Amino acid sequence: MTYTNEEFANMVQADRVHRAYYTDPDVFDVEMRKVFGKVWVYVGHDSLVPRPGDYYCTTLAGQPVVLSRDDKGGVHVLYNRCGHRGAKVLSTTRGNARVFSCMYHGWGFRPNGELAGVPMRADFPEASLNEARAGMERLARVDSYRGFVFASMDPDVMPLLDFLGVARQGIDELVDRSPEGRIEFSAGCHRYHFRGNWKLQMDNMADTYHPAAAHGSTVGRDGRQFQRRAGQEGGAALFFAPNGEAVVSQLGVRGFKHGHSSEQSLFDKEQSGGVWDEYRAMLVARHGEERTADILKNRRHSLTLFPTLDILIAQTSVRVVKPIAVDFTEVEVWPVRLAGAPEVISEDLVKYLNMTHSASSFIQTDDLEAFERCQEGMKAHGSDWILVARGMGSEIDEGDGVLFGARSSEVGQRAKHYAWRALMSA
Amino acid sequence: MKTVANLAPVGQAGPTLEELRDFIEHEAELLDERRFDEWLDLYSEDAVYWVPAAHGQQDWTSHVSLYYDEKHTMRTRVTRLKHPMIHCQDPPSATVRVLSNFKLAPAGDTGGEYRVHSKFIMLEDRVGADRRVFGGRYLHTLRQEDRRLRIVQKRVQLTNCDQSFPLLTQPF
Repeated sequence: MTYTNEEFANMVQADRVHRAYYTDPDVFDVEMRKVFGKVWVYVGHDSLVPRPGDYYCTTLAGQPVVLSRDDKGGVHVLYNRCGHRGAKVLSTTRGNARVFSCMYHGWGFRPNGELAGVPMRADFPEASLNEARAGMERLARVDSYRGFVFASMDPDVMPLLDFLGVARQGIDELVDRSPEGRIEFSAGCHRYHFRGNWKLQMDNMADTYHPAAAHGSTVGRDGRQFQRRAGQEGGAALFFAPNGEAVVSQLGVRGFKHGHSSEQSLFDKEQSGGVWDEYRAMLVARHGEERTADILKNRRHSLTLFPTLDILIAQTSVRVVKPIAVDFTEVEVWPVRLAGAPEVISEDLVKYLNMTHSASSFIQTDDLEAFERCQEGMKAHGSDWILVARGMGSEIDEGDGVLFGARSSEVGQRAKHYAWRALMSA
Repeated sequence: MKTVANLAPVGQAGPTLEELRDFIEHEAELLDERRFDEWLDLYSEDAVYWVPAAHGQQDWTSHVSLYYDEKHTMRTRVTRLKHPMIHCQDPPSATVRVLSNFKLAPAGDTGGEYRVHSKFIMLEDRVGADRRVFGGRYLHTLRQEDRRLRIVQKRVQLTNCDQSFPLLTQPF
């Protein structure tokens, strides 16, 4: 069946969403066009293609795309598709080539997508080769913010900075932790998948209510969780408050315009001791004490950009969510190297991220179990509605379209649902 | 290929390949039987349990890993595997590991340590989940401590290490 705009709008009520939002394959198909086809979607970080001819293959809304760098240093996002017969041109995830060569009939393309060569060219009508679509076509719009490359399939999309709004501060807060103001994706990524809808993972990134129940197995008898970050201080956090509530659930969440969200940080201290003191001194030398304290402040646990990018500020990493099918989702988590910081900081980060965000992590595994149980449970017809009412009515309007909700409010999840509703009913 | 009979270093009363193989098969048996405390006890205090996430990965600091556990992390993992609130093990997994192709690496100057290569296939089944099949190569670095063998490092090189995984709870 297909839905009318009004029916899509009705799937998201103020305090609940219809289960079809997560379970109906028709909804998923329309999302690819009306959500992913209309907004800015993160493609990759420009440190993945540092030199001319470098390419990085990924997917955007299930479509094969390539992030590439041309010989003038320009960054492009191309459909990974031969202009001749449609074969995927590049098959290795990362590489470097002056010409991207199609294995089927040998057509070649420059890193900016232009057709570079056609074997036995004279036998084609020349007009059929002299058009952009004979090359590897570029996505309609490409822009980047501090190394994060976004693309849009809609030529009339709003400017990237307008779409990010004040939520772009989450990217600043991560990148500013580099003494050079620059980050690199240099240690590969964790990749995991689950049998559930992509929005279950997105909801979870604005959900500080679940840890006491979902992550109960990671809390020791002393009420402390295992050490999640390096440093003598600021690495472990008390999990339960004296009144028995999970500390994380006492924290607040923000919802932003266009469906972005953020969570307050669980950590209350700067990481310190040893190399961390050396690192701090590097920041002070560059920025001064006041600005350094601001950069290192544990302001947010994470900041999530609609539809599928998550800046994990507390873990110094970046998570990318890839919808594959209505009930199948892949996720990547990339540790971030802070350029100019002592190398051991990046190395420790890679080690700790294995514990918190690998497929075998102590945290992520129970989240994935929760997503799969949601997908399974929502097959039941007892109620068609999924409640998302926590903290409703007590949000504080901070201006710029930002709503703050205390005590694990579901305000950040509602922001995503409302953004989805606006796009799907348009 | 060397045979079991001639592998004990000349002039030393070290373990034979047969003894090393029995030990490694015993480790797999403990995991199959979910005797996680006894499994943990096979590892030395400076042990590393490592599952690289790329083919040819040289270390655990320049690239992410599927597992990188030092002994204290292994303890946390085992504590969690036994915890009543480990939801992703409700119901629990059943596993079987089949090991083969044991070879002793040249001793080199490793000073009392033994490096043993083997190959394995592991099945993991859990009610409600798809059957999983994992396979690859083990490299055990073993040491004799107080007249018993300890695992100093276990490296698990999976054939599909560079792909996407469902949630993983069982050490390989």
